[in-house]
Amino acid sequence: MSKHVPLLGRSIAVLAVTIGAIAAVVFSTSGGVASAHKVVARTASSTSSCGPKPGHKATGKPIPVGAIDTKVPGTDFSDIENMEGAYFACVNANGGVKGHPIKLYALTEQITPASVSADAKKLVQTDHVVAVSGSSSIIECSVDYKYWQQQGYKVIADGIAPECYSTPNYADANMGPRFSSDGAAQYVESIPGVKKIVFDQSNVPGTAYNEGGIPPIAKLKGLPVQADTDNVPISNGDSVAERLVQEAGSTGAVVLNFTPPEALIILQAAQKLGIAANVKAWACSTPCDTDFLASSLGSVWNNKLFVNAELTPPDPTHTPTMNLYEAILKQYGKDVSGGIGSFSQMGFVDGEILVHALNNVKGAYTKKAVNKAIENVHQFNTGMLCAPWTYGPYKLHIANHIDYTVTPNNGKMVIKQGCTKISAADPLMEAYYKAIGQ
Amino acid sequence: MPSWQNFQPFLVIGLALGGVYALSGVGMVVLYRATGVLNLSFGAVGAMGALIAWQAINSWGLPQGIAWLICVAFAAVLTTLYGLVFGAALAKRDPVVKAVATLGLALILLGVMDLLWTTSGGASRSLTLPTDSSGFQISSLTVDWTQVISLGLGVALTFFTAIFLRVTRLGTAMRAMANDREITAMLGVPVTRVLAAAWFGCGVLAGVAGLLLADLVALDATTLTFLVISSLAAALIGQLRSIAVTFIAAIVIGVVDSMITPINSITNYRDMTPFVLAVIALLVLSGRSTVSLERGGI
Repeated sequence: MSKHVPLLGRSIAVLAVTIGAIAAVVFSTSGGVASAHKVVARTASSTSSCGPKPGHKATGKPIPVGAIDTKVPGTDFSDIENMEGAYFACVNANGGVKGHPIKLYALTEQITPASVSADAKKLVQTDHVVAVSGSSSIIECSVDYKYWQQQGYKVIADGIAPECYSTPNYADANMGPRFSSDGAAQYVESIPGVKKIVFDQSNVPGTAYNEGGIPPIAKLKGLPVQADTDNVPISNGDSVAERLVQEAGSTGAVVLNFTPPEALIILQAAQKLGIAANVKAWACSTPCDTDFLASSLGSVWNNKLFVNAELTPPDPTHTPTMNLYEAILKQYGKDVSGGIGSFSQMGFVDGEILVHALNNVKGAYTKKAVNKAIENVHQFNTGMLCAPWTYGPYKLHIANHIDYTVTPNNGKMVIKQGCTKISAADPLMEAYYKAIGQ
Repeated sequence: MPSWQNFQPFLVIGLALGGVYALSGVGMVVLYRATGVLNLSFGAVGAMGALIAWQAINSWGLPQGIAWLICVAFAAVLTTLYGLVFGAALAKRDPVVKAVATLGLALILLGVMDLLWTTSGGASRSLTLPTDSSGFQISSLTVDWTQVISLGLGVALTFFTAIFLRVTRLGTAMRAMANDREITAMLGVPVTRVLAAAWFGCGVLAGVAGLLLADLVALDATTLTFLVISSLAAALIGQLRSIAVTFIAAIVIGVVDSMITPINSITNYRDMTPFVLAVIALLVLSGRSTVSLERGGI
């Protein structure tokens, strides 16, 4: 045994040196994690416009804010709260909110209901947060929505689960998998000659909810819908792609609702097998809207794959808001590993909405005052969404319900269709439109 | 139920995947026979090699051929290092301890890959081989060269490994080591060198399998790390002894998994294929060994 001790020590040293050397080489290049940050270097825009007093650090009593994001290998939404944190850092460095800095308690969860529930209680009872903003989790809405209701919080989130959209105390910067899939299906059914829709998504809880809007939307044009699910991670993309193409046929369209790595597996398999063109069109919900995906796909997908985009695509848009977003990302976004993309945009929008609400609070920043101000956010122009954003006192919230469609174009996602409203044929959309009087 | 014509592409896809599972399975069996170690880090090592190859092509601008060599060299060096250091240190421990130690390496590598090649913010990567873009037609069926290479390598490796273990001095030494390490050493066999050769060979196969699976399945750390389950099932069906049975089992697993895909009623259960086949095979085999023991007793 004693002989093993120096041997083990030596072995650990050898392995550590090997892995360390690999890490050093990878980090020292523009690839891997670093590549995400490289793309933000194209703008020299100032960050000073994010606060009321450029260059003056906020020194008042901090306003505590909480967020809970999913972070497990393969499913990591922490870029959202990290970007919101970057936005707050910018605001704090430029005068804060009426002189108060915002302190973000950014928690991550591993899709464990008990710990998600405990996280919410920690934010309230230990951190004494007065607002919850920037949450994005597979299960957080389902687990905590009653708690937030009891406690009187009006959460600003980026939702996935049904409760993020169907309960009174959540409103989201994004439209989530159901309505984004609706948008993708809406686009493909407008393509002449499409006679069938095949919808495929990951086999996780909530699939019936996610696919629920597509049949009524397809029914408007008399199209049949076939709904599939596939286990993730996908271990045989070739087979899945082949099955989808066979099911859709030459006059069908395939609509995918997967995370980017899983969608890429299917799309690349179709490309490799030479069957991408065997269907009329391919479409995807918002997660596919990344340049990572566009750059991994070949030109065969230009104007063949159509991706629903819930937020304004950054590339062709050089508005002051988009420039500010990129400048904040560059100056304060060291923890935002994905760089420019939907997730960091969502975090930016969450931060914008909350700061707008906080600026409208009269008097002390109590939980009651802050959440009333959040509920009162009405027709706020985020500069990142197709339409102004409203929280409102509604029983359900689909605050983001107008979106773009983008398509790959030689390594970049470009706009294919401008702002388009999600169809009221989806019964949940219809209920929301009625609630807001549209 | 799809027609036979519709099933044909799935057969080709399954054969190719089965070929790579066979590569991994045979590599695991050879290593186990020589060292007594069930290498559960096989997938993680290949995955990291493939990600380094992706980095070499996309960030360092290296030619694809060099990147592939880097992948295989990384897998071979890391596996050999592990084998010489940890393998030697754990040589006298139970097989379970040795296997769990390799699982530890797999988890460390998985963590490092998640850190270096994050999937947050929608990051996704791919590694395509030039053999993807060319192939040939059999009737209406398209077969690409990557699929042919995958199956061909599986067949060739099984054939040559069987010969290698029977005919060559190193192969004989490996088989002797599997029986009794200490007696083999007393007979003058350079144990450390034989062990190093076994670990090195296993590492090379991990690198090659990592490259092929990154192309055939996905360049994703988690997916590639846990694809080892299919190969492990094949190796278990071969009772960690028979290379030929391992090869056949790997092909069957790949084909069944693929052929189930278009059958909607059971498609979501196809990930169970390796477990179900392994359990059935082990039940059948354990029944047989009971019979043979009884006969022996008689």
